[in-house]
Amino acid sequence: MLFDLLQNTLDGLAMGSAYALLAVGFTLIFGVLRRVNLSYGPAIMFGAYCATWVHLNFQAGVLALALITIAGAALAGAYVERLCFAPHRNGSAIAAMVASFALWMQFEELVTLVMPKHLYDFPPMLSADPISFGPLTLPIEALVMLGCALAIGFGLQRLLYRSRFGLAVRAVIDAPVAAQLAGINVPRILMQVFLLASSIGGLAGYLIVSTHTQITPMLGMWSTLKGLLAMMIGGLGSLPGAIVGGLLLGVLEAHSQWFLGPQSRDLLAYLLLFALLALRPFGLWRARHAETRA
Amino acid sequence: MSDYAIGVLTNIGLVSFIALSAYLLLIAGEMSFGQQGFFGVGAYVAGIATAMYGIPLPVAAVIAMAAGAAAAFLVGLPTLRLRGLYFAMATLAAAEMLRILFELIHFQREIDGELVGPDGTQGFRSIRWVFEAGIEPADFLVIVWALLALAVTAFIVVERSRLGATLRMLGEDPELARMLGIRVERFKLGIAAAAGAFAALGGALYAHHNTYIEPRNFDIMLGVHSLAYALIGGLGTVFGPLFGVLIDIGVLEGSRVFQGYRMIVFGGLVALLLVVRPRGLLDERFVHRLRFRAFRHT
Repeated sequence: MLFDLLQNTLDGLAMGSAYALLAVGFTLIFGVLRRVNLSYGPAIMFGAYCATWVHLNFQAGVLALALITIAGAALAGAYVERLCFAPHRNGSAIAAMVASFALWMQFEELVTLVMPKHLYDFPPMLSADPISFGPLTLPIEALVMLGCALAIGFGLQRLLYRSRFGLAVRAVIDAPVAAQLAGINVPRILMQVFLLASSIGGLAGYLIVSTHTQITPMLGMWSTLKGLLAMMIGGLGSLPGAIVGGLLLGVLEAHSQWFLGPQSRDLLAYLLLFALLALRPFGLWRARHAETRA
Repeated sequence: MSDYAIGVLTNIGLVSFIALSAYLLLIAGEMSFGQQGFFGVGAYVAGIATAMYGIPLPVAAVIAMAAGAAAAFLVGLPTLRLRGLYFAMATLAAAEMLRILFELIHFQREIDGELVGPDGTQGFRSIRWVFEAGIEPADFLVIVWALLALAVTAFIVVERSRLGATLRMLGEDPELARMLGIRVERFKLGIAAAAGAFAALGGALYAHHNTYIEPRNFDIMLGVHSLAYALIGGLGTVFGPLFGVLIDIGVLEGSRVFQGYRMIVFGGLVALLLVVRPRGLLDERFVHRLRFRAFRHT
């Protein structure tokens, strides 16, 4: 019993690291633009499908596939920014969100047109045995994922609070007009933030599909929903919150799957989201710029 | 009329109900990602009533509407004070919970030697009331569109009344509405319940048109589509959402010109359209201008 609890917690942390990475990218976009990018997951899926296509047609190493996934996701992210977010910067948040959903449809149909099979195999990152601590096991991929999540979370925090670029980003968040007047190229900063967030999403996407060693078009919706859920749990716009939220979601899901089954697992995750929104709409960790009107 | 045309037209009518329900909330300033849940509630409740208990469809549809309104009311109660994105996420969570509940329901009865009723992810088969009552597809089409006309008339009457003005004020500035003595919370709950009832009616008809429903029919795709319909069609008039449905299902799917890449065309179209007209083709400004012209000539 204790063994199951510990093993589930470990599995949950592994999955939760993926959620944390997804949530970090999501949070970056939301924190800066105050807009929800529903196409975040589909852009990741697009990148992962690019890598799958390359893997099927050419010989490509692990590193190349990871880079292609990231580049594909960043490219798709730039397209989304141009079409859905740049035009609505001062306009309607709802219009931007629905536009990003419209592009989601495009990505999904595009990948199913080019690669019509429901499921494709994806090469694993490494073929090492899982590490064991006594009776407990932890796959290496999980460690890589957890490491990536922590490193990126820490690095981003430093980037935002210790660099000129970060200063510009924070200026744009606080007062876009004043930032523009001070000589900051606001549209360019927003584009850079989008590229950065999409690349982080692409990395998360690569780690996820190479751990599962398969890919389906469901990856798009899955990434958007999990990223959103983890971001909401952690508090909107807070990077440490996104990481804690992702890990928490992973552990909760692992335990509820073990004790109650997969459907109850999802039910519980949504119930948690609903209860959090109703009772603590700012998330568990109140973000610096949180507001109820988004 | 060919069977295909009848099918497309019936579909347009059915989807219009959920688009109307999204529209009602949008003009009151709320964006719901969860209307598909109430559409599903309507489909399941009406299906259970006719297929398992032999209740005639008209009565079952009324029960379904009541159930949809009740479900929307219950979801609305704890989410009243949320706005914008927070409300959208809460409604999405609620609708996904409903969908998973549909997956967990195994509730069947033996009728004429056959098990009938919702069977989790296996779906809910043989909702055959329309067929057994001898209603032809063309007749069902007339029924759907007559009900839709009734709903649209109700919308027009309400929008021209004081109630309609209050609705739009609530969407523009809830604080101002509150200062003018409007009970914002009570109003919003009423709107949420009404929108739930509209969606449920659509669901009830949908279940009887398809004779088979499964939890997957009521996922987030349906909800976001209904929002997109209202938003591309326009928020200025009740004909906006209907126009949106017509563009997607009628023109793109019906014409079969873009077969295979309909979503690529539709998606690009929606994104571009929203850049030019963020509140849709038939937005408030367009409708006002039209009304102004119409009155100037008379």
